[in-house]
Amino acid sequence: MGIAAGAAVAAILVVLDLGLYGLFDVDYALRILPALSRGLTATLGLVVIVIPLGFLLGFAFGWGRTSHNGVLRWFSTSYVEFFRSMPPIVLIVFTYLITLALLAGNERFDATELAPAVSIVALAAHSGAYQAEIVRAGILSVPESQREAAEAIGMTREQIMYNVTLPQMFRVSLPALGNEFASVIKDTSLLATVSILELTFIGVNLVSTLIQRGGNPDLVFVVWIEIAALYFVLTFAVSRILHTVERRYRVPGLEAPQL
Amino acid sequence: MIAAKGVHKWFGTLHVLKGVDLTVEKGDVLVIVGPSGSGKSTLLRCLNLLVIPDEGDILIDGVKVNDPKVRPEWVRQQVGMVFQSFNLFTHLTALENVVIGLRKVKRMPRADAERIALRELERVGLADKAEAYPAQLSGGQQQRVAIARALALNPKAVLFDEPTSALDPESIREVLGVMMKLADEGMTMVVVTHEMGFAKTVADEVLFMADGQILERGTPGELFAHPRTDRARAFVSQVLG
Ligand SMILES: Nc1ncnc2c1ncn2[C@@H]1O[C@H](COP(=O)(O)OP(=O)(O)OP(=O)(O)O)[C@@H](O)[C@H]1O
Ligand SMILES: [Mg+2]
Repeated sequence: MGIAAGAAVAAILVVLDLGLYGLFDVDYALRILPALSRGLTATLGLVVIVIPLGFLLGFAFGWGRTSHNGVLRWFSTSYVEFFRSMPPIVLIVFTYLITLALLAGNERFDATELAPAVSIVALAAHSGAYQAEIVRAGILSVPESQREAAEAIGMTREQIMYNVTLPQMFRVSLPALGNEFASVIKDTSLLATVSILELTFIGVNLVSTLIQRGGNPDLVFVVWIEIAALYFVLTFAVSRILHTVERRYRVPGLEAPQL
Repeated sequence: MIAAKGVHKWFGTLHVLKGVDLTVEKGDVLVIVGPSGSGKSTLLRCLNLLVIPDEGDILIDGVKVNDPKVRPEWVRQQVGMVFQSFNLFTHLTALENVVIGLRKVKRMPRADAERIALRELERVGLADKAEAYPAQLSGGQQQRVAIARALALNPKAVLFDEPTSALDPESIREVLGVMMKLADEGMTMVVVTHEMGFAKTVADEVLFMADGQILERGTPGELFAHPRTDRARAFVSQVLG
């Protein structure tokens, strides 16, 4: 139902543009839809890699930042500070260039294939830094007295982590994580700079083909409206899924801060 | 049953426990009183090894338990604890709060754990609140669930750290009622409290603590009626008066 609502809003946006410009060429829109759908599928694939990978990194380093171990804390903090202070596009391009340079003259790996793949990891590392902060805040939101009560009934450190800290942290962090996931979806478009064939890259290609072939420049709008609608649908769907999870696990007294 | 022998504890340079001795026999109720900051909570936490003594021994049934060979988790199963601020697990219902120890610590199958948990909730008069979350319960109800959570593990003794200090008069009565019933049933209890009425009715022995030491000990009659030290006298007149 949420997805349907999202599609409806997207459709309204499209119709509005149609009214405003009187240039929505439905034929052309349908003709480029298969190509853009392939782009959407690729973007979805990126999202499915970057979000879990970023979450793992975020979880590890967020936990590390709250650790009693000074070395672990220092390392985790450095990670977060470094990746948060870089624009993701810079990270992506740098990673790409460095991988290319490292693989120059290497016969076993195809640098042009491997470099974009490694850039995907760079984006995950960037998101991981943000997710680490969310995880850290979540952990800190669980009062020490909760862990103490668990200790007092004889639970081990691991049991306390799985049964007390994590479930509470997770509930408090969900809205912030949802925000970050939406951010990641949109940031995958930056991977177009290293020639990954995702939605934005395919859109840009369609536009340049259009221009090269001397097509109607107004059709550029159609391409971008369609791209916008597809991103919207994807982001909206993810946001609805998270909202459902949030509702499913809602507990009185542990309401997550509304964003 | 539980004993502390010459227990010292430092927090940094702060000497919080300065050689404390105590013994609680099976079925006895020991009440600890004393001014704020005298080390009552720290002493209680030493008894279930939430705080590890720097010097001295904690004995359970004559066995030294502050020993690397003894798992502190095992000790905490033997000695339950009830906190001033209840500390129920916020994300779990009353029933699940009691079940979790049985499942995770005692590794009991769910059906058995739920049966025992319900029995314990009945014991504190809260079977009808089994599905409520802590935020939906009054302070007194939360504290009774916390007592049920401690009792469910079938401990040899239960420690209470000012269990009624955060409660309104009505809730204080509820919780003290449950504690008195427990004492009647022969539960071994160590209670830090300023509820002199409770101490007078159920305590077998009262300890007066000040500055990390036990200054006086005796039956509630002796200690409250005829305190020997100036500090105890001042404290008693302040609390009773
Ligand atoms: N974890 C800790 N780290 C450092 N200092 C502590 C710690 N726990 C307690 N203290 C200090 O030890 C002293 C004794 O504290 P404790 O909580 O045992 O006193 P108390 O008798 O229970 O007091 P109250 O009646 O206020 O609960 C206090 O000065 C307290 O600040
Ligand atoms: Mg205290």
